[in-house]
Amino acid sequence: MNLDFLTIDIGSIFFNLANTLILFLVIKHFLFKPVNAILEQRKQDVENTYQKADEALESAKQSEKKYNDLIGNAREESARIIKNASETASRRSEEIISEAKNNANMIIKKANAEVEREKANARTAIRDEMSDLALNIAEKIVDKEINSDDHRRFIDEFIENVGENDD
Amino acid sequence: MKVSDFFRGVTEIDVKGPHVIKSFDIGGITINLTETIVLGWFLIAIIALVLWLMTRNMEKVPTKKRQIVAEWIVSALNDLLDDTMGKSFRWFTPYVATIFIFSLLGSLLSLFGLRPMTADFNVTFCWALMTFVMIQYTKIKTNGFLGYLKGFCAPFPVMLPMNLVSEVSTPISMGFRHFGNVAGGMIISSLIYFALTGISTAIGLSVPVLSIGIPAVLSAYFDLFSGFMQAFIFVMLTMIYIASAAEKD
Repeated sequence: MNLDFLTIDIGSIFFNLANTLILFLVIKHFLFKPVNAILEQRKQDVENTYQKADEALESAKQSEKKYNDLIGNAREESARIIKNASETASRRSEEIISEAKNNANMIIKKANAEVEREKANARTAIRDEMSDLALNIAEKIVDKEINSDDHRRFIDEFIENVGENDD
Repeated sequence: MKVSDFFRGVTEIDVKGPHVIKSFDIGGITINLTETIVLGWFLIAIIALVLWLMTRNMEKVPTKKRQIVAEWIVSALNDLLDDTMGKSFRWFTPYVATIFIFSLLGSLLSLFGLRPMTADFNVTFCWALMTFVMIQYTKIKTNGFLGYLKGFCAPFPVMLPMNLVSEVSTPISMGFRHFGNVAGGMIISSLIYFALTGISTAIGLSVPVLSIGIPAVLSAYFDLFSGFMQAFIFVMLTMIYIASAAEKD
């Protein structure tokens, strides 16, 4: 027995509805559920990988920044140290130089004073010598005892004047 | 087309509906179990077996071809749904896949000399009714029940009869289009065999030699191309109708 070529058969529609639903469940369970799960898992994996890469990049950037800062600090520090050292050195050298100048001045002053003193000593010695000499010459010429003290005074004045003229 | 027909030739054309395997009488209503339904069971069993084999022991890093094929099918269908309906209809993909595979394989049964499932109007009408119900459900869900009723009076209340006709004609046209194409192809194939047998007999050949080759070309169109096209058209229309039903008026 056959159905008519074109007929609406409730039983057929019902059975076909059931068939379609069963096939729907079959396809969902055997195809979409496992494949979607795998695809989702893979997507998750890829996302995780990207996230990890981003994190690694971020931490690398942070480390770079940190090291750059450190290097910058070290540079500043070294520049500061060098500057300090050179300042200290120049200050020290100035001190040394001024000390040396002072010393030299002092030595020169001392030497000058010494020279002056020697000169004065020498002058005094010469004057005494000359006064004695002049007194002797005068005794010889006058041939008599001169009041030694009076004459000596005159002569000393004279020599004093001579010495001053010498200067 | 039965195998024996290749040797004996087709001597009569009998346009009949599907064979009734068993009839039940439940409360005065006759429920027929037809060959269409039994073939449907076979298809379900085959599809289930193939899918089970394909998606067995899937791995996160695919190494087997069958897994790649399964993933390709799912991705292609998901992409098709995303393109035609939008991402919010992902859950709908298995249904589209079901109708498409059932319709395609149901039509291709004719390649094995069986009566195509889709040459039974009850099958295509059933699917069209499912689409119809889903369209109405989606419209109510989108616009609310009052908005749904108002939609029939848009843009003017005068349009109500036309809107009703257009709404009701959707499943009928979908069902008849699919049924008509496959059943028509089946009848034309029978006619061709009949004609070729007649010619073979007329020129004195005991075996209808002419039946070899010529029907194969036509079969490529009526069975393969038409079967594929109708399945595709049916699911595309379903998707488009439901997607447009989900748009707010």
